[in-house]
Amino acid sequence: MAETDLKEYIFNSGISFADRLKEVYIYQIANNPFYRDFSNVLGLNMDSDIDPESVPLLPIRAFQLGKIITENSDADLMFKSSGTTGMLQSMHYVADKSLYENAISEAFYSHFPKDKYALLCYMPGYLDNPHSSLIWMAAYLIKNDDCGLSTMYHDTENIDEWISNVLDKGKIPLLFGAAFGLLDLIDENKINISNQFEIIETGGMKTHRREMSKTELRKQLSDGFDVAPSNIHSEYGMCELLSQMYAIGDEWFTTPHWVQITIRDPRNPGRICKPGEEGKIGIIDLANLYSCPFILTDDKGVSDENGRFQVLGRWNSDNLRGCNFLIDRD
Amino acid sequence: MQVANHIKKLSKAIDGWFQPDNMKLKTAIEQTVDEGFFSFEDVKQQIRALKHATAGDNLHKWTESSGLQPHSLSGKDILCLHAGNLPLVGFQDALSVMMTGGNYFGKISRKDPYLLPAFLEYSSGLILQSEINWVLNLDDLEITKVDALIFAGSEDSASKVTSVLREKNIITKSTPSLIRTAHFSVAYITNNHPETMRDLTEAVFRYGGAGCRSIAIVVAPFGLNDWKCSFTEYIEEFWLKNPQHSKPDPSLFHRYAFNKAMKIEQAWLDDFLIEEQLSKPSEKFILQWIKGDKNTLDDIVSKFKDGLQAVYSTENYIGQKSNSMIIEPLSKAQNPSIWWKPDHIDTIEWLQENVGI
Repeated sequence: MAETDLKEYIFNSGISFADRLKEVYIYQIANNPFYRDFSNVLGLNMDSDIDPESVPLLPIRAFQLGKIITENSDADLMFKSSGTTGMLQSMHYVADKSLYENAISEAFYSHFPKDKYALLCYMPGYLDNPHSSLIWMAAYLIKNDDCGLSTMYHDTENIDEWISNVLDKGKIPLLFGAAFGLLDLIDENKINISNQFEIIETGGMKTHRREMSKTELRKQLSDGFDVAPSNIHSEYGMCELLSQMYAIGDEWFTTPHWVQITIRDPRNPGRICKPGEEGKIGIIDLANLYSCPFILTDDKGVSDENGRFQVLGRWNSDNLRGCNFLIDRD
Repeated sequence: MQVANHIKKLSKAIDGWFQPDNMKLKTAIEQTVDEGFFSFEDVKQQIRALKHATAGDNLHKWTESSGLQPHSLSGKDILCLHAGNLPLVGFQDALSVMMTGGNYFGKISRKDPYLLPAFLEYSSGLILQSEINWVLNLDDLEITKVDALIFAGSEDSASKVTSVLREKNIITKSTPSLIRTAHFSVAYITNNHPETMRDLTEAVFRYGGAGCRSIAIVVAPFGLNDWKCSFTEYIEEFWLKNPQHSKPDPSLFHRYAFNKAMKIEQAWLDDFLIEEQLSKPSEKFILQWIKGDKNTLDDIVSKFKDGLQAVYSTENYIGQKSNSMIIEPLSKAQNPSIWWKPDHIDTIEWLQENVGI
């Protein structure tokens, strides 16, 4: 299949996910030397039966160690993960930014239609990273807001005026921010949004404060901003992925039609965990056509019978090597 | 005098337990091996190491170095949760409690249900001034409000374990807790003499590489590719005498595939992987081989100090410091002194300071 056709094919929901995946897998094996070697060692190649469950998932740290981009591709964009001192940063080279734009628009506007919402982005920690994919995404959404109301919080001189403008236009103000930043906003009492707003929180749960569960975070946001839990949503995305997942009003994420999530057994990443069983989150994101669409994250997750999933924090492998009472009880 | 008598009695009990004619120990070893918990070679090594560590006046030396006071924990209930991948895991903790005269309550490791109980049963008949109780399942523990808790686990598990114990009213928020989180050790090798290589092999591959004193990172002036062949010979020699009992999960082969894709130098040994790559050791059956010098070692020790148990080397470096850690002899990795300090804390000292009368 020609590359231009493949780009459209990925986002064509009329074609089964399995068929789209097969084409993307063939393209990857032909053009991504890292993934080709990985897949070959694990015994899957173009002659094998390819299905979403058998496709090997490349550990996400590949993005820290190598330039993961298909052969003969040049990067339009480069995203870099935020990282603490001494930590390797992931780098995602994006060969075709239209794939990212498409993934952002299709998923975001399906949940938050352009004509209904105005976005207020509060991402203080990410602003220091000129290669932040989250900032790029926020800027893209702001730029594409036809009525021009969407904005970055730090660009807004008078927040009360902004809120009344948005409400006057009959739109819902949507505060989109990193979890730790939103908690700071509550502490600083800078904004009084009450029940007029909806909120999307994103980013890790390990903040400069402490690690907290999604349930606790949602409760703090709900109490702190006086917003009903049903109006607090979550985004799950990362620098290594061009697509994002959303949990609307609760802790269960769903995927766009070109993404599939499975929970993988950390002891055997080839095994898919049953619903309710915790494991590492495995992602097939077809929009990652030119980098690597088959990724095993280090995030801990759990799925339900309907294919939805929850993000439970980071997978801690320290449990596997040392003496561990919890493992001992299993 | 009181301490001396108590320790003498304890020393005699331990010495008796390790005697070859102790049928209860023999039975415990047979059950452990027959039921597949550990290999005979690993059990034999651990018993040999502990017998040596507790022989002669070693317990007395420990009382001196730890400042043991007579019956310092008399009447105090100490709960020890034992978990791990080694035979007789928890032996030192149980002994610490007995030496201080405290009452020992143990949750025995599910992976080692015979050896430590055999020792505890034997000791309880001889050490009459304190209670010795143990269970295999936490749910069977019939005790409330212990005076201290000792256990090993990850940072992640600590809060979960303590909350379970709080729910059961076994501990309260203020119960002193000694929670150990170190889970790997590092070696600095500067020569490839047969003795060094054999010690290194023992320190890496004994118990299938499990245990916090086992080496997970080697720093050496040569790259893995230069030493791969000769090192493999020593490993094969070791495995011929000590077949690896536990087998890795399929995730290890995925890691091999990943390294191959990322062009990371490695040696695939079927049941073990050696890779020339540095990351915080967290998984079993992996040795990281890092080319470097003493400065490299110091950097690694500084970077991973939170999970690091011990730093080993040979000859000139023993006794020197790598950051704040004193370098121990490589040959002692699997044969520590009875007074060695897990997570740099002497258990007797800790008990006396936190729970003592």
